[in-house]
Amino acid sequence: MHKRALGAAAVTGVAALALSACGGSSPTTPSDTGAAGTSKATTTGVPETPSGTAAPVRDANVDLVIWTDADRSKAVQKYADEFAAENGVTVKVQISTDTRAQFKDATKVGKGPDVIVGAHDWLGELVQNSTVAPVNLSSDVAAKFLPKAIEATKFNGQAYGVPYAVENIGLMYNKDLVPNPPKTMDELVAAGEKLVKEGKAKQVLSQFVSKVGNAYFAYPYLSAFPEGGIFAIKPNGDYDPNKVIVNTPDSVKGGDVLAELGKKKVLSTNVDDTNQDALFDTKAAPFMISGPWSVAKAKEAGINYGIAPLPSLTGGGAMRPFLGVQMFYVSSKAKNAALAQEFVTNYIPRKDVQLALFEVGKRPPALKEAYAEVAASDPDVKAWYEAGIDGSPMPNIPAMNSVWGPFGQATADIIAGKAGAKERLDAAAKEITANIAKG
Amino acid sequence: MKKPIALAIKWVLIAVALLGILYIATKLAAAGNVMAVVLAGLVGMGVLAVYATKRSVPLKYLVPGLLFMILFQLWPVLYTASLSVTNYGDGHLYSKEESVTDIIAQSVREVPDTPRYKMSVAIAEGGDPATADLVLLLTKPDGSTYVGDNAGLKPLPPTGVEKTPVGKITKAPGYTILTAKQANARSKDLSAIAVPTSDGGGIKPVGLSEAFEGKATVTYDSAADQLTDAATAPPSVYAPKDAKWVNVADPTQSFPQGWKENIGLANYSRIFTDSTIRSGFISIFIWNIAFAILSVLTTFLLGMLIALLFNDPRLRGKAFYRSLLILPYALPGFVTALVWKGMFNQDYGIINQTLGISVDWLGTPGGAKAAILITNLWLGFPYMFIVCTGALQSIPQDVREAATIDGANAFRTLRSIIMPLLFVAVGPLLLASFAFNFNNFGLIYLLTKGGPFNGADTSIGSSDLLITYAFRLAFSGSAPNYGFAAAVSVIIFLLVALMSIPGFRRTKALEEVN
Repeated sequence: MHKRALGAAAVTGVAALALSACGGSSPTTPSDTGAAGTSKATTTGVPETPSGTAAPVRDANVDLVIWTDADRSKAVQKYADEFAAENGVTVKVQISTDTRAQFKDATKVGKGPDVIVGAHDWLGELVQNSTVAPVNLSSDVAAKFLPKAIEATKFNGQAYGVPYAVENIGLMYNKDLVPNPPKTMDELVAAGEKLVKEGKAKQVLSQFVSKVGNAYFAYPYLSAFPEGGIFAIKPNGDYDPNKVIVNTPDSVKGGDVLAELGKKKVLSTNVDDTNQDALFDTKAAPFMISGPWSVAKAKEAGINYGIAPLPSLTGGGAMRPFLGVQMFYVSSKAKNAALAQEFVTNYIPRKDVQLALFEVGKRPPALKEAYAEVAASDPDVKAWYEAGIDGSPMPNIPAMNSVWGPFGQATADIIAGKAGAKERLDAAAKEITANIAKG
Repeated sequence: MKKPIALAIKWVLIAVALLGILYIATKLAAAGNVMAVVLAGLVGMGVLAVYATKRSVPLKYLVPGLLFMILFQLWPVLYTASLSVTNYGDGHLYSKEESVTDIIAQSVREVPDTPRYKMSVAIAEGGDPATADLVLLLTKPDGSTYVGDNAGLKPLPPTGVEKTPVGKITKAPGYTILTAKQANARSKDLSAIAVPTSDGGGIKPVGLSEAFEGKATVTYDSAADQLTDAATAPPSVYAPKDAKWVNVADPTQSFPQGWKENIGLANYSRIFTDSTIRSGFISIFIWNIAFAILSVLTTFLLGMLIALLFNDPRLRGKAFYRSLLILPYALPGFVTALVWKGMFNQDYGIINQTLGISVDWLGTPGGAKAAILITNLWLGFPYMFIVCTGALQSIPQDVREAATIDGANAFRTLRSIIMPLLFVAVGPLLLASFAFNFNNFGLIYLLTKGGPFNGADTSIGSSDLLITYAFRLAFSGSAPNYGFAAAVSVIIFLLVALMSIPGFRRTKALEEVN
């Protein structure tokens, strides 16, 4: 009995461990997947690493507490130390394994940090739960950032943080197999099928679909058509949760493309996060639709890769990816609100800070000046940026939480040929609308 | 006659227990939970009453178990039940008052075409930095300086004022400028400052070195219990409805911040009346029972067969085989589950490739269920093998010999002698294994996440267990709804409890064999 109990405890513990590792970011946001590069920054303080996956414990004697993931912690620590020295205060950077959930839960019981580092699409949920405070950048500082990055930090017209990086997906291609990136999906399929026929590749394209679908990767097929997408845009530029457009005629056109590519085996529900990179890195697939987080692995595998914008679809325009923006938030229940605001508004917009954060994440910086400097020396960053130039920020309204599951599953079913695009997207729209009404 | 040493040990233990309770009570007091402090005090008195006196001997044995049962079994059940009658969930975490303050605070916008001030936080000279009234020393972009507090803005004569190159005041006669640390300690007071301006806005600090002129667009009318947002033209009015502030003119619009409130049995009636949930619940329940029974059955049969085989005295190298067989049990379950997930991949998985078939294991309901049972067989049989081996070895050899002498063949011995004795030992374990598998969250989550999902509804997966279903309701999916998930958990608890009763009766019957 004891052994069994132990076994059960171990399994639950392990499940909890695995859960906290996979949870957090919405099923589709790959913002946490990247671990490219390491920080060369020398640090005086050492980021506090949590034991296991539990939320960090807030130190009551510190003047400013910042939670971040492990990758960014060193870069944040360096400037946190500088800030501490300059202001005569103590700052602690703590590593949170699942900032989104842990921040929400810790704040609820008054033990949350003052500042967190996170993705912009958490915003709606954080506002809904009264956990973040507005951050008021002056208009001349805001003008130094990419307009889309600033747009992403806003909810209901109010700004809630300072951005530092932008990420999006693009087309990665194997230069040894395909010298020039295709401009259209038809060209891509033709080039890929030729390689498969010649025996130089096993399949045309590697794209994360999975059995439950992936809304983040499927969205660009809809957005290639003018009226296609997930939510309509309100006059003030916000996404409108009351206007779900996943089943408009234009969205269905995108769905038809998914169906066709599924039939041709270009897209497959058997490709998911576990094998997507491997397919490209073993040269089984000459093309992969992915983001900056895949670069490090491709480099390690010795692939001569290129990065290009997503191709355009026949009858529509270019596939436009979602933009994900990484940003610093200030907690609405911050114990050290003044210092938190000071750090976020005065330090994060600095060029050297943005460059240091670039070094650990290799995502295009959100500060124009920093981006210009990086883009001049790093062709990958420039390519990623250009692949996302027509993209729009991922919706940050809470209603988006109702979309990931139903819309993702719909695209998986369409790709697998289980249902027609029109019928399936209609059903998804119905479910999304019902979920939003419930929430 | 009591030995002094035993007495000393007893009193030390009582003191340690009381100190522990005191420590917990101080923690609870710091958290401001009066009720819990009182309870802790009662528990402490109870411990003293039971162990310091000579009365109530049975209680001396029962108290620790009772306490832990209340703490770790009863309390969570009661808490879950109390949560299940609320709408607690995303957007409904705090009280109504907090939602009002939050909505108003979040509606503060910068008044267009107003200057940004450089700012220092100060107090009147000679005051105590921790308590004195705060003032803001402000510098306009044109260089003119001002003093502001909640009474208003007045010019600060430039004589004796020192500024940094960007214009932040570092010294002003008659004022003491606070350090960052001192100012930060007053964050609460600082956020309450809004220097009133002529156009109805207020100059508010941003951090410690800047200030802007902002204005809250939302106002609360407590008499009518309504919020008015002046940002739109005409101003929109929001009234409370379903624990949210909903626009009176256009009910599709509402503020995202709602509040927590009691909704009675609405969560329960939703489980039983919502046709999708009800039919989904029934199908999940049936699969859940089938999964638990089949898991126990398959793992037990395989484990027992191997145990019987290896219990044969003629087999050599048993130690080696046995340790090999325990391997799947020794490997972390989540690693194994993920490896199996890869092996079940339709195109790239080793199972389809080796067998030359193209079964969509994880994409069809039947395939997913089969995949789960196969993986669980792999994960579970070593445990059954271990307990069966142990139980078999404890069956005395003379019983078997007696059976042989009485003329029973091998199968008859197994059926009539070994199996009944085996069941006495492993019966309760099979039940425990059933209960464990009934809630085997990790396996399902890692292998299929409850999927594949039926076309029109992604809230109910075809390989979902009740526990993964409740988890999806509570923590992921559309809108995390702890209240509803708690109601589902309560139902699961009742079901498992009901099923356990006949189970435990049955084990009692088994024990009578001895």
